[in-house]
Amino acid sequence: MSLYAFLGTLEIGFIYGLVAMGVYLTFRILDFPDLTVDGSFTLGAAVTATLIVIGYNPYLATLLGTLAAACAGIVTAWLNLRFNILHLLASILTMTALYTINLRVMGKPNVALIMEPTMLTPFEALGIPAMYMKVIFVAFCAVIGGLLVAWFLNTQYGLAMRAVGSNKRMAQANGIVVNEKVYVGLALSNGLVGLAGALFAQTNGFADSTMGIGTIVVGLAAVIIGESLFSTRSILVIVMSCIIGSILYRVAVSMALNADFLGFQASDLNLLTAVLVALALVFPKLRREWKAKKAKGERV
Amino acid sequence: MIRCENLHVTFNHGLPTEKLALRGVDLTIPSGEFVTVIGSNGAGKSTLLNTIAGDIESTRGKILFSDRDVTNLPATKRTKDIARVFQDPLAGTCGNLTVEENMALAYGRGKRSNLSLALNDNLRKIFKEQLSRLNLGLENRLGAEMGLLSGGQRQSVSLLMSALQPSSILLLDEHTAALDPKTAALIMDISSQIIEEKQLTVMMVTHSMRQALDHGSRTIMLHEGKIIFDLSGDQRAGYEVKDLLQLFAQARNDGEELDDDKLLLGE
Repeated sequence: MSLYAFLGTLEIGFIYGLVAMGVYLTFRILDFPDLTVDGSFTLGAAVTATLIVIGYNPYLATLLGTLAAACAGIVTAWLNLRFNILHLLASILTMTALYTINLRVMGKPNVALIMEPTMLTPFEALGIPAMYMKVIFVAFCAVIGGLLVAWFLNTQYGLAMRAVGSNKRMAQANGIVVNEKVYVGLALSNGLVGLAGALFAQTNGFADSTMGIGTIVVGLAAVIIGESLFSTRSILVIVMSCIIGSILYRVAVSMALNADFLGFQASDLNLLTAVLVALALVFPKLRREWKAKKAKGERV
Repeated sequence: MIRCENLHVTFNHGLPTEKLALRGVDLTIPSGEFVTVIGSNGAGKSTLLNTIAGDIESTRGKILFSDRDVTNLPATKRTKDIARVFQDPLAGTCGNLTVEENMALAYGRGKRSNLSLALNDNLRKIFKEQLSRLNLGLENRLGAEMGLLSGGQRQSVSLLMSALQPSSILLLDEHTAALDPKTAALIMDISSQIIEEKQLTVMMVTHSMRQALDHGSRTIMLHEGKIIFDLSGDQRAGYEVKDLLQLFAQARNDGEELDDDKLLLGE
């Protein structure tokens, strides 16, 4: 892998680290499988890119893109909590609706940002080559995001949210308003994913209506890879392992795509993704089974 | 003080499966009284407790805590006054949170959670002190995942958790039923200690007649959603388990006769 390709891999890895944290909040903390992220990743990118093109400050545009994505999460939570639509289905409905909304926001299938100012523009004066600068910038965003998420989950409010995902009845008996925590959790999760979309649009120079497809799978893969690497109870380590999982996932994908003897093409990405995620899902279970078998064998 | 006035609860109202779970319960429990609640399966014991806690909405009637009408208050808002321990040892704690995290949640019961850190050394000290009362060695396992503890240990912690915040009412729903006799006795001991120490108003549902008579100062029996007898004072002191069983049998027979009458009248 060339240095240039490696930096690109790192950059995408850090950005999807934010996605992984969002997915971790819904799947693991709230036990609410949320597929909205496929739409909210694009929404974050679309809103940010559109606003930048019409002259908004990139930072303000990114903030608004993040908030828009957070609202998408609130819609999913509302469909589920208010109307009792199954969480998975509620999120699929929002995701489907977002496809149209994203096209409407942009007014066309994609928006180019090549010549526009981005969040990175102020740092160009530092004189660091753009390919390094991008990686440093997204790494900074991901790590700060991770620290904030870990801190949040360790606060009273965050602990209450974890209780809601773990045991609703217990949460309620201790005075925790369950629905409120789900709304806030989904808003935060989709906000993080929207922010990732906004960063992706600015570092890659475009927003596209199809860019969000598969976001959930990638996010989930990163969470699971991270989890299987570190078995810990520390929230900070778990959240940071989302970033590491995301980078490792990217490295694995680009190595597979670049290995000539395997004969993969760029269009094989989705199959590779699915296989990698399936392996990551199966691996912890197999490892337990092996261990159990080994323990049995020793006893006999 | 807890007061229930003409409390009715109907499940599946208007459907073929309609069930009248409570049918006009009138009950006044003065502050500091410990009431044991008995009755056969489906008599409405748990429904009564869950209605008082706010999990179930009453269809008719009123609930008051010390003259404050709480009938329309959601369960989460009643937690300022009510602490609960459930029958299922897994229900009262979060299995994938640690012991100290569970206790921190209970420590915040009835208060609004904010963005300060949920745990600190001061709290850990309090939790350690409380856990050492159990003599189960849990004071050295604050960071252990709750799911790794045995059912008895989890129930013990649930009980401690219910007493971490001052509350006036404690609802125990067969909280020793799922435990082995030795652990059940331990839990009952600690319950009594806590109740005495904090001067709590208590309702304890139990299937054990022995437990119902040995603890508290008053026993009520529910049958088909109504209180069919209410024992206290000298009358209760003279009661034995076999007397209670007799009342049980009587209630059941009365009920069946009643049903037969209904059938006849229906013809």
